[in-house]
Amino acid sequence: MASSQHVLLSPAELAYLHASLSLTPPIRPDGRSPTQFRPLVAETGILPGTNGSARICFADGTEAIVGVKAEVERTRTRHDFPSLDESAEDDDDLDDNQNDVVKGDNDWVEMTVEIPGYRDDDAGTVFLSAMLSEALLADGEFTKRLWINQRFHWKLYLDILLISPPLSYPLPLLSLTTHLALLAARLPRLKSEGDEDPLFDDDWAAAPYLYPRPSEKGSKATAPAPAARPPVTLLVMAVGNNIIFDPSKEELAVADVALAVSVGESSSSTTSTTSSKPTAMDIDTEETKGHNLRLLSVRTIDPPSRLTPPGIPNASNSAYGANAGAKDTEKKKQQQEQARTAESEAVEGVWKAPRGGAKTLVMATMVQKVLEKGGVADEVLDALDGVDLN
Amino acid sequence: MPLDTSAYSLALLRVDGRRWNELRRIHAQIRTQAAADGSSYLEMGHTKVMCVVNGPSEPGPRRGATSGGGSGGGQSKNAEVAVNIVIAGFSSVDRKRRGRGDKHILELQSTISQALAASLHTHLFPHSTINISLHVLSQDGSLLAALINAATLACVDAGIPMTDYVAACTAGSTSTYAANDEGADPLLDMNHQEEQELPGLTVATLGDSDRVAVLVCESRVQVSRLEGMLAVGVDGCKQVREILDRVVREKGIKMIQEGTVERGVGLNDMELD
Repeated sequence: MASSQHVLLSPAELAYLHASLSLTPPIRPDGRSPTQFRPLVAETGILPGTNGSARICFADGTEAIVGVKAEVERTRTRHDFPSLDESAEDDDDLDDNQNDVVKGDNDWVEMTVEIPGYRDDDAGTVFLSAMLSEALLADGEFTKRLWINQRFHWKLYLDILLISPPLSYPLPLLSLTTHLALLAARLPRLKSEGDEDPLFDDDWAAAPYLYPRPSEKGSKATAPAPAARPPVTLLVMAVGNNIIFDPSKEELAVADVALAVSVGESSSSTTSTTSSKPTAMDIDTEETKGHNLRLLSVRTIDPPSRLTPPGIPNASNSAYGANAGAKDTEKKKQQQEQARTAESEAVEGVWKAPRGGAKTLVMATMVQKVLEKGGVADEVLDALDGVDLN
Repeated sequence: MPLDTSAYSLALLRVDGRRWNELRRIHAQIRTQAAADGSSYLEMGHTKVMCVVNGPSEPGPRRGATSGGGSGGGQSKNAEVAVNIVIAGFSSVDRKRRGRGDKHILELQSTISQALAASLHTHLFPHSTINISLHVLSQDGSLLAALINAATLACVDAGIPMTDYVAACTAGSTSTYAANDEGADPLLDMNHQEEQELPGLTVATLGDSDRVAVLVCESRVQVSRLEGMLAVGVDGCKQVREILDRVVREKGIKMIQEGTVERGVGLNDMELD
């Protein structure tokens, strides 16, 4: 869908773009630095009928609205889960997971993406929603927040609407909007105790946030393992060895590689339990400030540059007299061979769609650039902190 | 949820405290979105819709379920008005997801498309398509009316020539079909609760005139009450038109003041303060 959208650029324009993006430092058409994001306008709590909602408007005019709606649903009894009674505490010899009463299921989250002009079963739309929900469900921590008691849980519906026509690949926009909507989402406060039928507090002001705020973290001692933030999926692309963040549609049209990198932030307590690697622990102890980032998923995205038409070098262009005077069939044959080599080999200044896979080193650098301290993900999360959540 | 209609006769006030001839709060904005040719945002009470217009442009490959109005295809002499409605899952109180093939949505699409195709000067744009996509963010009755109003505003913003505003509004009656109530009052601008319980119709008129562009009635009404309802509805449409017109003029004045557009000839007498 949107990633392979048609870009109306000639091979010469593509070659020019590619050349300027592969300079050091790269020169982007809109004058941004390689790690700079487009400016955006964000607001939350726009729809009082939802549990949480957000709207983000990028400077290029693309706009998305996300609404989160929660419903109470009865949990299906699972036969592999023996503890419907209080005996769960006794079975310490069982698996660690069995011991953990708070459980989540990926079925508890339903995500739909609506893009005007595209069917909801369009491959691109399905791929987008799969990428977004994958990041959300990757660490299994999120669904635990939806747990009410042994018998009931919250079913969370995430409806993602792209309001504007998809000008650029909408993944970062949708991901950031979803992030904000989840941050703003609140669920009614539970009044009932234990495994009785859930009863909720009518007072919306008392409703706790799905992701508890740092300030009230202390009071929410009962909240399940407060991982601080929902995930963010960033679009990163590479041209040559240059790594460029938040590409516009034109930049994506000359990308050698495009990656969707999902990054989550976890509180130090969860990291210390989940990551057994000593390196991760070192980072935790070294730097207390900043975000505690964790890589959740990486997906390669087929860049639209693969579908662009190649340019023809002057050497093989008949309009520039390449075949002039070629009367002998032998000579013609020779020139055809030359043309063939010209087609397969890169000629300076002539556009050729990138072929083959990405270099491992480039991919590793892209992921590293996202994750490093003070890197792009840090910056994005800091910027999103500035959004007023009401 | 049953609506206690008997309370109406006591104080002549409706469930939300309005009198029979009062509209809900209408709030509208145009040019809400930079990337589109025209856009608008409209609230009628708690019904909130957004509209984005693209075009008139060369018709692209046809995707999804769009309904053509005016006349079908991009090969015709008139521009095709393609309307696409997305009803967000979170828009109603209980989450209910509607697929694109939903009959109700298809009907809304073709109604809006035909109403606008009649009002827009589609003959000026042969072999082209005007894409109107409507997003329903919140529903509380009068959905079709809100969609038509939003689409009109967005078409104005897109600068597509049209004869006049297509302003829409709903009207109902205080008594159900079965009750043989002589003193039934007509009601203006129904909310969701009233729509569930009482007969109602949606009417859209062309500008200041009494010419009806759309009339949709999906409930059973006694014929004797229809005339009253229609009269109230048409009257409401005129009020809605005033509101839409004010929104457009305010935005126009703002754009001139900000210097986005140049002051045209003959605008010198216009009040700019």
